Amino acid sequence: MSRKGSGELRSGGSGGNGGPRVGVYICHCGGNISDVVAVEHVVEAVRKLPCVVIARRHMFMCSDPGQNLVLEDVVNEKLDRVVVAACSPTLHELTFRDTLRRAGLNPYLYEHANIREQVSWASKSDPEGATDKAIRLVAAAVAKACRLRPLEPLRVGASRRVAVIGGGIAGLRSALDLASQGLAVALLERSPFFGGRAAQLDQVFPTSDRASDLLAELMAKASVDPNISLYTGAEVASTSGYIGNFHMKVTLHPRGVREGITPDQARAAIEACPETAASEFDYGLARRKAIYQPCPDCHPPLPAIDWETCTRCGKCAEAAGEGAIALEAPAREIDLDVGAIVLATGFDPYEPRTGEYGYGEHGVVTLPQFIRMLNERGPTAGRLTVDGRPVRNIAFIHCVGSRQVDGIHAPGPDGKVNDYCSRVCCTATLQAAKEVRDRFPDVNVFDFYQDIRTYGRGHETYYEDTSKQGVLFFRWTADAPPVVEAATGDPDAALVVKVKDTLTWGEEVEVPADLVVLSTGIMPRDIGSLVEMLKLPRGADRFLQEVHPKLRPVELAVGGVFLAGTCQGPMDITESAAAASAAAVKASALLAKGHIELDPFVAGVDEALCTGGVGCNSVCVEECGAQHAISLVERREGGETRLVAEVNRAVCGGCGMCVAVCPSRAIQVEGWRLDQFESMVDALLTVEG
Amino acid sequence: MANETHDKHRILVLATETCAYPGADNVGQIHAEYPANAYILRVPAPVIFPEKFYLDCFDKGISGIIVMSCGHECPYPKAYDRLAKRISEVHGLMKERNLSPDRLRLCAICTVCSKSFLKEIRRMNEVLAASA
Repeated sequence: MSRKGSGELRSGGSGGNGGPRVGVYICHCGGNISDVVAVEHVVEAVRKLPCVVIARRHMFMCSDPGQNLVLEDVVNEKLDRVVVAACSPTLHELTFRDTLRRAGLNPYLYEHANIREQVSWASKSDPEGATDKAIRLVAAAVAKACRLRPLEPLRVGASRRVAVIGGGIAGLRSALDLASQGLAVALLERSPFFGGRAAQLDQVFPTSDRASDLLAELMAKASVDPNISLYTGAEVASTSGYIGNFHMKVTLHPRGVREGITPDQARAAIEACPETAASEFDYGLARRKAIYQPCPDCHPPLPAIDWETCTRCGKCAEAAGEGAIALEAPAREIDLDVGAIVLATGFDPYEPRTGEYGYGEHGVVTLPQFIRMLNERGPTAGRLTVDGRPVRNIAFIHCVGSRQVDGIHAPGPDGKVNDYCSRVCCTATLQAAKEVRDRFPDVNVFDFYQDIRTYGRGHETYYEDTSKQGVLFFRWTADAPPVVEAATGDPDAALVVKVKDTLTWGEEVEVPADLVVLSTGIMPRDIGSLVEMLKLPRGADRFLQEVHPKLRPVELAVGGVFLAGTCQGPMDITESAAAASAAAVKASALLAKGHIELDPFVAGVDEALCTGGVGCNSVCVEECGAQHAISLVERREGGETRLVAEVNRAVCGGCGMCVAVCPSRAIQVEGWRLDQFESMVDALLTVEG
Repeated sequence: MANETHDKHRILVLATETCAYPGADNVGQIHAEYPANAYILRVPAPVIFPEKFYLDCFDKGISGIIVMSCGHECPYPKAYDRLAKRISEVHGLMKERNLSPDRLRLCAICTVCSKSFLKEIRRMNEVLAASA
């Protein structure tokens, strides 16, 4: 045995006698695998296996140098099978198949062993067991590789339409980018209005653009783009199908208002409505009618009826005049065939519990509520007042509902704390503080923070500016958060914020405040049955989880489904727009040709073994779950005609129901042959560690 | 995580590539641990295996088999019902061979069913420990 660079262990004599020549590559994955699995030991065990010509290890097999090892060995060592033991095949099976293709080898002569997700990450406290398991799984992969056959991919048609779910800024960005690639887009918004959370914002950092201007620009383009169909009140009722060919049923809830309604008619209808509800647009700071427009520049610029509040009294219809209101309009269902789905379902702001940092007291609001207060078209018309009195002292408290610590913070209804940083709130808070100092120079601003995480380009400027503008900062730690209490005896402030300030080495500080603003975090939105319908994976933080944060950052494990924006985790608008464009590019690339190539893992018949129904009553034809995927056809052999089973490869789904019942084992699913599974089990049990 | 039962018994997990296999990945992604004696093989649909495959596995030395299917979410028409029927038939054959049917378990695991996944592995190890 000789050792060469990159941990190569050269085998002598294996793979001879015209048998398969297998190269095996074990990945360290930085330390993700090798911190638990004794990778060198795996290499040594694997090199003893028959057919293994070469076994190597590498720090990152997916890197260019890692892939080049395979490329060179395929050529120099005349490998005809390759096994890589690394992360889940979901991540890199295609990567290495492509490596084989580039090396001139059929890409289906590749087998992948999952020793990260299913070994090192799942057996951290048992390195010995993990190493043994890794050896057995790699041996099984080698056994299967020896029985692999070269295959050609199947080509199936794919719809060139994409469903974008969520009509906020990410959904709009994604829809426009998809449409610019010539794809048809169905933009589905569950609420009656487009714009999402961005519509509730005013100025947005770091450019100080008005969110309403950004949205207006996107909406203006989307509403005239012939490739984009806009739907409001659109709720996904069901989905079926697979990458390239999803079928969706979408329920369209009625708006209750005819499209041709004039602004005067809309105003009259809203004024006449006797029913009110808390305005979700103003986060409960104001009330709205049952027929309402959340803001003057909403999209579309039409009122909608909140059917839960509406009593169908008809006063709006009477006031607006004939034909303007449709109180009896039914919901309808539409069918959509789409090749890909982009999820832009957004987030919900954290709702503090009553009493948490004084929440529920007069004068304690959340940052989203405060942003509405600052808006000149908001519930206080841009005035800073509490109970009619002008505000003189504002205290901002960071990290409310973020960076929570188990044991210190009360868990949410699902029993979990939000231990993640919501990322955008520091800059958003400082931007609000700066706006207060700019517009209300007589108002004192106090800022209570754990850490200032102004991480983005231009964000730190807000910290510098507010510091220069006289905002006073106090720093606290998670085990001693600020306490908000009603003030006693202070005519200038109804509240007091007490904190142990670490900037002054633990000095106990009391700050009077007549308005306390809680900088609340970003929560994963409840997207109802979509998670179940599409089998969407979620991370420990309950946000939707991408396949890999760096390598496949906007793809889900469900093929053809992509992530855009804050459904994936806390992001600001800049990042949401970037993610949305990335999702659009991935979906466009997938569907650009109008067809996609699928793995050729469908049934095939060995006609030499098939008896054509003799002795088996054509049980494969009877058993088949796909419509007419298997039939009996005539074959002429030596002047005689006989029947054999034939598979329609375009229809066969590769389930293997036929395989299990064929008594002569004449029918097999390529890539998943029974003899391959049997050899894997044998190898699992017999390999020596 | 390791103990004598785990060292002695080998559990074969047949996991569907659309549901249970990514479900098993999810368990690793959240860094939840389970004994290293569970070997997961990715399969398109476990209905592919004839009765003999299971019996052969036991003959060869596999201690327990967990068939982690997609349940009624199976993307292949009729496949889950056929699978359930076959597993039931294999249970009958196991009894004839004095093999406890508990050593072959059919369950449904989705892409995010990490708790159910861990429960099934734990349960099979308990069955095997009890039968030892």
